[in-house]
Amino acid sequence: MANPSFPPNEQHIVSAYDRDLEGIQAMIMKMGGLVETAITDAAASLDARDDESAARVREGDKAIDALEEQVAQEVARLIALRAPMGADLRTTLTVLKISGNLERVGDYAKNMAKRTGVLVQLDPIEGATTSIRRMCRAVEAMLKDALDAYIQRDADLAMDVRERDREIDQMYNALFREFLTYMMEDPRSITACMHLHFIAKNTERMGDHVTSIAEQVIYLVTGEMPDEPRPKDSKAAYEIDHSE
Amino acid sequence: MNDMRPLERIVDSDTIKIAARGVQVHYGETQAIKDVDVDIEDHTVTAFIGPSGCGKSTFLRCLNRMNDTIDTCRVRGSITLDGEDIYDKSVDPVQLRAKVGMVFQKPNPFPKSIYDNVAYGPRIHGLARNKAELDGIVERSLRRGAIWDEVKDRLDAPGTGLSGGQQQRLCIARAIATEPEVLLMDEPCSALDPIATSQVEELIDELRTSYSVVIVTHSMQQAARVSQKTAFFHLGALVEFGETGQIFTNPQDPRTESYITGKIG
Repeated sequence: MANPSFPPNEQHIVSAYDRDLEGIQAMIMKMGGLVETAITDAAASLDARDDESAARVREGDKAIDALEEQVAQEVARLIALRAPMGADLRTTLTVLKISGNLERVGDYAKNMAKRTGVLVQLDPIEGATTSIRRMCRAVEAMLKDALDAYIQRDADLAMDVRERDREIDQMYNALFREFLTYMMEDPRSITACMHLHFIAKNTERMGDHVTSIAEQVIYLVTGEMPDEPRPKDSKAAYEIDHSE
Repeated sequence: MNDMRPLERIVDSDTIKIAARGVQVHYGETQAIKDVDVDIEDHTVTAFIGPSGCGKSTFLRCLNRMNDTIDTCRVRGSITLDGEDIYDKSVDPVQLRAKVGMVFQKPNPFPKSIYDNVAYGPRIHGLARNKAELDGIVERSLRRGAIWDEVKDRLDAPGTGLSGGQQQRLCIARAIATEPEVLLMDEPCSALDPIATSQVEELIDELRTSYSVVIVTHSMQQAARVSQKTAFFHLGALVEFGETGQIFTNPQDPRTESYITGKIG
């Protein structure tokens, strides 16, 4: 008979069920590792104007896509065969969404690597790639914490990650203004600045996907999505400056 | 959390049909139920889940005084049906069971014709004045039991000659023939194949429009499919009672979580 204390992470009576769940979670962690590396390497190759290294990032995205596919298949199989309930159900739904978010982040890293291929042929914009690299480092740190929060089922850490997305938004807004200024001062910089702007915007979107992962972790742990809206910062990027 | 099935039959269900307070049941020295409080709503399917021996069937049997038939069984606390104590001395258990019908795990038709199986209850309770009225009750009950089309041409054939799934639907038709207000079902599908199970589940959902249904089931999938409210029993105690969608996605008690995810039995 069952003992009345019930430790929370007790194993399933059907041990194959535990192996299935662990298998899917291992895929998520592997995907997370690949995506973290892709962000770091894409930002580094952009900053170093190294197209060979960027080509490796572009190539590496295939593995991330394949893992997402595999997670989706395993999740479908788990739902069909085991009918997960309670925390198992939330885990199943969460891994599916997180794998989708990771795949998108991977795509943005790949896109950065593609634009690097163009940017190495253009004159560099002073300071821009360093700023983008700093922004990517912040996103990558958020992603690492979001995945740690997932593994440790730590809703507080996830909440912290969610708050930090604001910093990414601020960095993007600063870069947006900077690129605008460059382009107005020197129209020859427009091509490079447009590419750099897309990179910055995509990095900001990566932050949104990481935030979504953090929100999934909060749902996984508490059973509810965080409801109060994330504090938004200034709308600077949407305002046209008429002073020039 | 709201019910997650917005398209299911909309039935207004905020009246309490059965209220149990501080119910305790002893079999001799053994305590089977410890202080259970629960409200069973009208027009609602309430599922009782829990491992074997947790007291869910015992508690179900308290609701129409089936435990009276067991000599060693003592029931304490109060259970009211529409505000009236069903254990009051003035209550006739036979009349009570006409109001609170029951369907058992194994289909148990009487060794009589299909017609007589259904007509038995209305006859002893004097619900029909003549043959035509009785015919009407039998047909209506068999229709509501979703078995009319299959048996209408052989009402004189023995009920025991039907298939298991048909026998169970016949037993449901028999239980509803006396126009009960509450239908208790103790594992009604455990002896049925998946198709017969689906037919009974569809029937349960349909019956909800008229009755309050309480079902004991070992199949958590079934509880999730048919009920709006779920109660989880463990070791004689009611551990958690709540909206079915919430119990199966986000149970509040760690024991419920362990049970529904297959970690304790």
